[in-house]
Amino acid sequence: MISLKNFTFSYGSSDEPRLSRVNLDISAGEFVLVCGATGSGKSTLLRALVGLVPHFTGGIASGKRTIDGQDFSTAMPHETAHLIGYVNQQPEGAFVADTVLEELAFALEQLGVPRDQMIERVDAALAATGLTELRNRKLVELSGGQQQRVAIAAALSAGQKILILDEPTSALDPTSAHELLEFIHELCRTQNLTAIIAEHRIERLIDLVDSVIIVNNDATVSHGKPAEQLAKFAFVPPLIELAQELRWQPIEMNIESATKRFAAEFKNQPRKIAHLELGKVLLSAKDVVVDYANLRAVDHVSFEARAGEVIAVMGENGSGKTSLLWALQGQNPSLDEIAMVPQQAADLLFLSSLSDELSDSDEVARAKPTSTASLLEQFTSRLDPAIHPRDLSSGQQLALVLAMQLVKNAPVVLLDEPTRGLDYATKKQVASVIRDLAAAGKCIIFASHDVEFVAQTADRVIQLEAGRVIADEPVEQALGWHSDNALASQIAQISKLPGVIALQQVVGNE
Amino acid sequence: MNRQPLISRISIAIAAIASVLMFAWPLLIAATNQNENQIAQAVFIALMPIIIVLTLVEFATGDIGSRQLAILGVMTAINAVVRLLGAGTAGIETAFFLIIIGAYVFRSGFGFILGSTSILVSALLGAGVGPWLPFQMMAAGLVGLAAGTLPRFKNKFGELAILVIYAVVSSFIYGALMTLWNWPFLAGSESSVAYKAGAGLVSNLGRFLNYEIVSGGLLWDAGRAITTSALILLTAPALLATLKRAANRAGFVKQI
Amino acid sequence: MLQKVAARIHPTTWWLLAIVLAVIAGTASALWQTAAIGALSIALILLFRENATWARSLGFYLTLAAAVIVIRILFRMVFSFSSDEDQILFHLPALTLNLGLGEINLFGNVSLRSIMGAVLDGSRLAAIILAVAIANTLANPKKLLKSAPGALYEIATSVSVAINLAPQLIESFNRVRRARSLRGRSKRTGQLAGILIPVLEDTLDRSLLMAASMDARGFGRRSAQSAGELLAARTLGLAGLVLNLVGIFILLSGFNVALALVLLACGLLSAGIGVRITSKRNARTSIGRTARTGLDFLIYLACTLALVINFSGLVGV
Repeated sequence: MISLKNFTFSYGSSDEPRLSRVNLDISAGEFVLVCGATGSGKSTLLRALVGLVPHFTGGIASGKRTIDGQDFSTAMPHETAHLIGYVNQQPEGAFVADTVLEELAFALEQLGVPRDQMIERVDAALAATGLTELRNRKLVELSGGQQQRVAIAAALSAGQKILILDEPTSALDPTSAHELLEFIHELCRTQNLTAIIAEHRIERLIDLVDSVIIVNNDATVSHGKPAEQLAKFAFVPPLIELAQELRWQPIEMNIESATKRFAAEFKNQPRKIAHLELGKVLLSAKDVVVDYANLRAVDHVSFEARAGEVIAVMGENGSGKTSLLWALQGQNPSLDEIAMVPQQAADLLFLSSLSDELSDSDEVARAKPTSTASLLEQFTSRLDPAIHPRDLSSGQQLALVLAMQLVKNAPVVLLDEPTRGLDYATKKQVASVIRDLAAAGKCIIFASHDVEFVAQTADRVIQLEAGRVIADEPVEQALGWHSDNALASQIAQISKLPGVIALQQVVGNE
Repeated sequence: MNRQPLISRISIAIAAIASVLMFAWPLLIAATNQNENQIAQAVFIALMPIIIVLTLVEFATGDIGSRQLAILGVMTAINAVVRLLGAGTAGIETAFFLIIIGAYVFRSGFGFILGSTSILVSALLGAGVGPWLPFQMMAAGLVGLAAGTLPRFKNKFGELAILVIYAVVSSFIYGALMTLWNWPFLAGSESSVAYKAGAGLVSNLGRFLNYEIVSGGLLWDAGRAITTSALILLTAPALLATLKRAANRAGFVKQI
Repeated sequence: MLQKVAARIHPTTWWLLAIVLAVIAGTASALWQTAAIGALSIALILLFRENATWARSLGFYLTLAAAVIVIRILFRMVFSFSSDEDQILFHLPALTLNLGLGEINLFGNVSLRSIMGAVLDGSRLAAIILAVAIANTLANPKKLLKSAPGALYEIATSVSVAINLAPQLIESFNRVRRARSLRGRSKRTGQLAGILIPVLEDTLDRSLLMAASMDARGFGRRSAQSAGELLAARTLGLAGLVLNLVGIFILLSGFNVALALVLLACGLLSAGIGVRITSKRNARTSIGRTARTGLDFLIYLACTLALVINFSGLVGV
């Protein structure tokens, strides 16, 4: 259906290639997962398939791209718009119209489809994606999951046979994410759609896909069966990591089979999660209420947080996590008391080079020169001080802002969605930074969707629903296995042992 | 967008001359018949939007890609919002610094479109659509057009200096053009500060300057010059870096 | 009922009507004419306006129109003196200023004739403002952008993107301002740049993503146009502009108004054909485009008639 032959791409003639001698051949109806570390070039590969590389990124490309046997090596993306539907990382930011109907019609208008046929096709696309009731709704009124579906419907409205999605679930809660991926899987099966999806949270997809493409850090690419591919891949979810650690051959691809095998083979005694001794109360919230125009975002929330404690605030999109963090920050706006890293960490960056940001941060915090820089080095590899902060990867930006905020040495640290868009390796780094902070006597409160990250990091989980606390319990209980716990971690689901939620409890040096 | 063919450049030049005439007609008109003055004025109100459309078409048929359009859309939106924030307060004009900086980075064609669309969008969003709108669009477009031809400097101080000087000059020129537009409406044709048809350019220029002084127009222009150059001094170093970064990412070698 | 009729009328028709009324108002020579146009405009707006944000600005236009008349009267009282034969209403002490640019006469006698003249002059701009208000209150700006000629499609899209983006930008400003406070006061960059830069960077990044996604959905497709066609279109455009320029010169020289108007009309025709040819490269269709109906053509006919009558009276044919 779509193939790349000997495709190489780099930003400048002297730069390292971002994609090196890529050979891919994807057949019709195939459901493909693309994975790789943060910054490895997953997005670049997808954009090369769409034709946005090199036309929209600049740079030099060589090689051949064919679709359905036809050569499109030098075609602009709009020349293949009738063949490929593409949805980028933030579809809500890429909407061109006001209403669902107009959004779906956009591609058809560009392709010059006559008006009566256009309406027919839009309605067909709406029916296929289960959005018929939303036809005349405004896009801004839709939920995140619905917006994703509209973006997909809009990408397929002209009858495109190939769908390319870049991180479609990064902003969705686990339930919406699951529904969305099931739905794409369904389209592949029933409509013979070829779908190519880049995704960090491999566990959401491994069960569904036909093949896996891995983009390696040396810019090479491999394509093969899921089990073979993931057995050698380093940035994998706990499910696969467990299989790798226990040296299962072949590795198990889904929770059910892993559960059976685990029950049959695991005989050791699981370890308990190591909690720290808690110190004095550093932050206490009493009846916190946040109201917006016609919505109560946070509804009488009370809790106390102590030194050495890591608290995760969980809940669906719109349950009030972000509002709660901002309210806690607002209780004590002194920067010496509470440090906060907002969801869009890059909002804090406005100078034109990394070195400027670092030395400005030292000045603002009245810290010794290079304090921020040495903090940053704990989180990431050494970075070029002349680089523009906006050219850093999202993980690196997060690390930079985290360092800038920590250098103020506040006892309480708030983090809003600290793992958005990070791969498993980077998440582990962030987790170990958080554990180190707790060990240094700080109190960390973070909002997150990410069950596996919470399982590695938190001591205690506060669950919000519509602004209210519906549970406030130790992490082993919140993410542990019991029937219909939607938040159970993968290890909990596989082990079915009480209090076991994280990989390090069942594997490792005995 | 910078590769306008010659014929297109000539058309743009003629459109610019025509629009300057449509602003400055009270200074130039030879007809002494009141009727003819009014015809000229009324015809120009209808003609100006058409000349703007024709100029925009000239730029649009050049090499304008989706990416330049995206940057254009963003800068237009920011400009319109910023203009709405500052609108109404005496002499404070917050739209011009972005037009000038944007045009300086992305050159004349971008500057013309940015100038005229910024004014259009802010008018549609609430600053008011009126008969003056096409004239404001054209004047702001010309400010952007000319800003795109400013000489480039390697060092930051030179860049900042030329931008500030241009900000001051263009603020007064824009002010003069817009005052010329309302001059015949507000000063009539009989007073000593009104235009006198057929009196000749020099005499009318004197009358016009008197009008600018007594009507407070110059104060208003000075306000615009001060706010625009202050905003440029405050934001240009950072903005130039940001926009040049976007320009670099947007324009690159492509080769397969 | 009437609102439904209004929704069927093409947005460009409202604009044409507004501009024709503005031109007629600009050439009016009696108070009743400007008053009639003003009244007609207000009536049209009240009858046809829909309940939408852009349609709620009539109050603003009325205030503006009144302000224009008042300012005009004040100007006349301050700057104009009347001759002895006039019917004098009251006296103000006369003053003469000289700033080196010719004398300015201030105050002096205020006559009924001069005040009436000021009212007429002021009402002319007031009527033009109200006429343009028709376009602004009755034509949906988004529909208008959709009916832009194909040659302007890209710019029109960029303008509608800007209109959609503006409210989001205000949110971004607030978000960044809030985030900014977490960092503490920096000495390097002013508060303004500290907020403007992240907003701009963020919006630029997002818009480049958006441009990519739009292109991937076919935005930017053009049907092949021969070099000859393009050259013809450009030449016609140039010829049109030259004719316009000459027309403007003749109009200003007072040589022959009728000739000037004919030249301007020819220029517009030539440029219009040019734009039409360039627009052909666009093979786009539109789902929301309002087609022109008989009603629109009726309004065009009325406009043409009104213009012909108006100008033939003025030029003295």
